[in-house]
Amino acid sequence: MTFMKIVIIGNSAASTAAIETIRAEDKDSSIVQISEERHPLYSRCLLSYYLADKIDKNGLAYRSADFHKKMDVQLHPGRCVEEVDPAGQKVTCSDGSAHSFDRLLIATGSSAKIPDNIPETLRGVFVLRTVADAEAIKQKLSGAKKAVVLGGGLVGMRAADALCRAGLKVFVVIGSNRILSRMIDYEAARIVGTRVRDNDIEVMTGSDVSEVLHKDGNVVGVVTDNGLMLDCEILIVAKSVRANTGLIRNTDIKTRRGIETNASMQTNYENIYAAGDVAETFDITTEEYTVNALWTCAVQQGRIAGQNIARRDAAGIPAKYAGSVAMNSLNFWGIPIISFGVTVPEDESRYTILKDSRPEQNVYKKIVIADNRIKGLILVGRIANAGVLFSLVQNKMDVAPFMDQLLGDRFNFGHVVRHGGKPVLEKYYRGLST
Amino acid sequence: MKRIYCIVEKCLACRSCEIACAVAHSGVERVEDAVKIRPLPKHRIRVESIGDRNTPQGIRSIALQCRHCEDPLCAQACITGGISRDPETGAIVNNPDKCVACWSCIMVCPFGVIVRYEDCRRAVKCDHCADRDEPACVEACPTRAILYCEAEDAPIPVE
Ligand SMILES: Cc1cc2nc3c(=O)[nH]c(=O)nc-3n(C[C@H](O)[C@H](O)[C@H](O)COP(=O)(O)OP(=O)(O)OC[C@H]3O[C@@H](n4cnc5c(N)ncnc54)[C@H](O)[C@@H]3O)c2cc1C
Repeated sequence: MTFMKIVIIGNSAASTAAIETIRAEDKDSSIVQISEERHPLYSRCLLSYYLADKIDKNGLAYRSADFHKKMDVQLHPGRCVEEVDPAGQKVTCSDGSAHSFDRLLIATGSSAKIPDNIPETLRGVFVLRTVADAEAIKQKLSGAKKAVVLGGGLVGMRAADALCRAGLKVFVVIGSNRILSRMIDYEAARIVGTRVRDNDIEVMTGSDVSEVLHKDGNVVGVVTDNGLMLDCEILIVAKSVRANTGLIRNTDIKTRRGIETNASMQTNYENIYAAGDVAETFDITTEEYTVNALWTCAVQQGRIAGQNIARRDAAGIPAKYAGSVAMNSLNFWGIPIISFGVTVPEDESRYTILKDSRPEQNVYKKIVIADNRIKGLILVGRIANAGVLFSLVQNKMDVAPFMDQLLGDRFNFGHVVRHGGKPVLEKYYRGLST
Repeated sequence: MKRIYCIVEKCLACRSCEIACAVAHSGVERVEDAVKIRPLPKHRIRVESIGDRNTPQGIRSIALQCRHCEDPLCAQACITGGISRDPETGAIVNNPDKCVACWSCIMVCPFGVIVRYEDCRRAVKCDHCADRDEPACVEACPTRAILYCEAEDAPIPVE
């Protein structure tokens, strides 16, 4: 195949990475990109920074304004793909327009889940997922005094931080026993929690919103399942996300929590690829298929999909995805937090757990090891060389020779060179980061 | 593309490169002025030990800095799009105006050569001293252990 019709659904992390890798190989094929959101390409991760006025609207841009032109991509913003026809090789949009494809990338991401008992049509109920969401919250900020955030994950805590900076009294309602429960353990959460309280954000763990109180269509408060009544004009729901798979509901493209993919990022149709928050991938630390709905994962999957989409002959060697890892980095009021993989193993007896806890310095480190391989870690306060540890996770390196040094503040790439020798040094010299 | 290489056999671990690097990025010219700046200017090159008396080759060290990787993980992880390849020099650059200090780049850099800047508001790393003829570390190295050259002219890694 020389000239291909490539269709990409979505205009965010995974799709951008795919476009860049396709165009590095193939300048001729046509690329049609369809995106439900109208707003020019931006980074969703920056929405809380925008909400807190740390950056302006232009600061959200992920690439320069002429990106799609430079990449020779025909972008159709503001169109929603309603149907995918794998056999007929075409997609149909809500406005009736249709596009046929030789190769298709589904990079539709995910959406915030809203529990059934929360009436989302009420004024004052928000999620934080798109520019439009952030704009709507911003408009409501002036005049608002109190906010409730439901969910204490990365998005919830960042939203709480932003609202607090905007001068609101913020109350965070969390189902689990700690903030950031998917990132860090109880001890780490306690350190971060102190800083959260210092900033006058109140956190209630082990609870849920059972009822939303409203007047004339406006939120006026919530009642929690332990009977507390909290006044608020703003309720932000940040509990979890759900893969945007609606467009393939009438197809036999396989899905579980997300669209099932193989290491080439292909679905069960070899010319249909999926990447990013919509895709289920193999997690190398848990060794299970899951959706790691994270920016870096989306970019890496988009790159693999792009490389394989650009491959013209079936004989060539496909690019393979090594697998995803939960990886989070957060800078919370000056306390940096990084975590990878399995941080709170269910059955601790199967793991070696290294810990260094210095709460008085806001420092906490934990490394979870099985079979001499790092399966996960938490770094609070001291994050230098976090990536060196991450490379040990990714490369499944045997850490037995320097197990006693992993937690040290001075652990660095030199330790890896000592034990990995010439091959490691050679990768370094040549700038091969993977 | 030209990169900075450190010849392990020649490195004395004197850290002259670290000082030169910090000064070169401090905004002032002389060391004696740079040391007055608070917090102290930060270096983007770091000398680390890769062997001691107990390792077969004995005491050894290397000056580590950004490799301006072929497929840079930092650029893949950067949530702002601020880390990218300079189309002219090929170097990986971090746009200070875009950086929001989320430390995603530090999270993934396998060589640990991206650091938090003095005021902890942005991430910094080696920029090959874009505004100088030769990187400051290369100039400062008393044993000429640090080279700035194409890969073909680079020293082969030691055993
Ligand atoms: C506030 C916030 C902060 C975050 N912070 C971080 C962080 O610090 N680090 C991190 O790793 N991750 C973070 N994330 C997660 C990260 O943003 C996502 O993992 C990432 O955006 C996933 O990219 P994606 O390309 O898969 O899809 P998405 O970014 O979800 O984009 C999906 C695209 O598809 C389009 N689309 C969807 N359905 C259709 C359809 N039917 N037809 C046409 N177009 C469609 C959408 O309009 C959009 O353009 C954050 C998320 C949020 C909301």
